Amino acid sequence: MTHVTPDESTLVLGIETSCDETAAALVMGGNDVVSSVVSSQIEIHADFGGVVPEIASRAHLETLNPVIARAIVEAGVDESRIDAVACTHGPGLIGALLVGVSAAKALALAWDVPYVGVNHLEAHLYSAFIEDPSLEFPLVVLLVSGGHTMLVEMQDHGRYRLVGQTIDDAAGEAFDKLARVMGLGFPGGPAIDKASDSGDPAAVDFPRAVPEKPYHFSFSGLKTSVVTFIEKASASGDLPSLADVAASIQEAIVDVLVKKTFRAVDDTGAKVVGGGGGVLANRRLRHRMAEEADKRGVTLALPDPILCTDNAAMIGVAGGYWLTKGRLTDWAENVDPSMVL
Amino acid sequence: MLILGIETATEQVGVAIGGHEGIIATFEVARGRRHAEILTPAIEFVLRQADVDVDELGCIAVDVGPGLFTGMRVGISAAKALALALRVPMIGISSLDLLAFPCRHTDRVVVPVIDARKGEVFWSMYRQVPGGVQQVSAPTVGPVDDLVADLLARSQEALCVGDGAERYRHEILEGYHCEISAPVHPSPGALVQLAHAQALREEWVRPAEIEPIYLRAPDAQINWATREQRS
Ligand SMILES: [Zn+2]
Repeated sequence: MTHVTPDESTLVLGIETSCDETAAALVMGGNDVVSSVVSSQIEIHADFGGVVPEIASRAHLETLNPVIARAIVEAGVDESRIDAVACTHGPGLIGALLVGVSAAKALALAWDVPYVGVNHLEAHLYSAFIEDPSLEFPLVVLLVSGGHTMLVEMQDHGRYRLVGQTIDDAAGEAFDKLARVMGLGFPGGPAIDKASDSGDPAAVDFPRAVPEKPYHFSFSGLKTSVVTFIEKASASGDLPSLADVAASIQEAIVDVLVKKTFRAVDDTGAKVVGGGGGVLANRRLRHRMAEEADKRGVTLALPDPILCTDNAAMIGVAGGYWLTKGRLTDWAENVDPSMVL
Repeated sequence: MLILGIETATEQVGVAIGGHEGIIATFEVARGRRHAEILTPAIEFVLRQADVDVDELGCIAVDVGPGLFTGMRVGISAAKALALALRVPMIGISSLDLLAFPCRHTDRVVVPVIDARKGEVFWSMYRQVPGGVQQVSAPTVGPVDDLVADLLARSQEALCVGDGAERYRHEILEGYHCEISAPVHPSPGALVQLAHAQALREEWVRPAEIEPIYLRAPDAQINWATREQRS
């Protein structure tokens, strides 16, 4: 491996294959996303209501080369200019991770550049820096997706404190389950977001679970309340509109996420709030977070919705940071499906 | 033309490099299933020992299975990425061909048998032809009993090879009188030799045309436990 002294023109190829998105991106000078290509497998998994690991691995193998080639073409740069290859090496589905990591190492070998293995969760945190790389530490970051609900205090680069997390379902999983109850599609988050459009978030006051620890989340009880409510209301003939129910469910989830995030902001004195994960594409959540940030005069550094869901730009950004620190990954290093922050 | 061959369809990781002058260097490790850890260092090692710069490679050959899905994908993904980066064509060859080719000097039917786990094997049959072997039955996956039934139906003198033949030696020999011998794993050297013959005829493909041979539909069971770990 050759050594790279990174600067403004350092070009990193990011690769992401940890779950059901095949993605590649080129990132220049640390945070300038010059191209970002994401091929989603959502449609091929939709019939199963969840991600099927073997189907995901097969699709990654088929799609990865074209996705990488397109990311290079869209960036309009010559591949000989690429200084490093970064790839998610955990957490995720083992077979899916292996497709990306095997390709990333081979590319690094062929181009004679370093390979940087990236923690997928850390990459979501780093997406806060895409807009503004000079954000002031500490950051409070809400990481919410189909598999995760975590509140993290990012004290410095590479230094994290887990403030709180879910004790049962992830927020995205709660959206999926509730969308199924209401007969809306998969994935549930975007379906409920859309169905809520003309609804009244205050139509039904669904319970906000309060686990013992102030920063923990719990979403498993919400499904029971919604099912019970729909049964009772249908029997008595006062079932509100679908839009009202959807908006109220969304509000119950969003409310808890926003309150705990900003409690952490108040307690830590953080001046910046970040976020990542597919649930942060939810419009109501973004709106409520903006309101709370405004009230306190803190900076809200939410990535564009397209960079909240899984993508390779964040892998390139996180990988680029570690490249500047000289933390490269050995070719003999394996993937870690249960990697933590 | 220099060809790099990558073979990871069974428990073995095999890499070889060669061309007009024959095989220049090979690497084989057949212990455990640490494909992802071994493969890239193995490629680097073989290139260095052969004193070949990666840019000198003119073609990437890869074992496309059948075999262990996760293992073979490690090799195929690496091979496709190398071909993409070096802008060279690819040649995909079946693991069954690679097991049969070293047995080309026998006049018996050669039956490569690969362990498919879950009590099943992948197999196919080959006969001798000038300069090599030719597949005479389509690759199949099934229980060992089906393989024995296939052997009985043909009732020819047979030579079984591969890790599946090794693992189920007892069951096969109980059902059919034949010989079971080496090789146990597909040979990366055979991969380069066979690919070289094809390359001379310019029978290569673009990386997008490389098709893994799975022979089994994906297990559509959703792994909720693993799904939890994603974000
Ligand atoms: Zn994610």
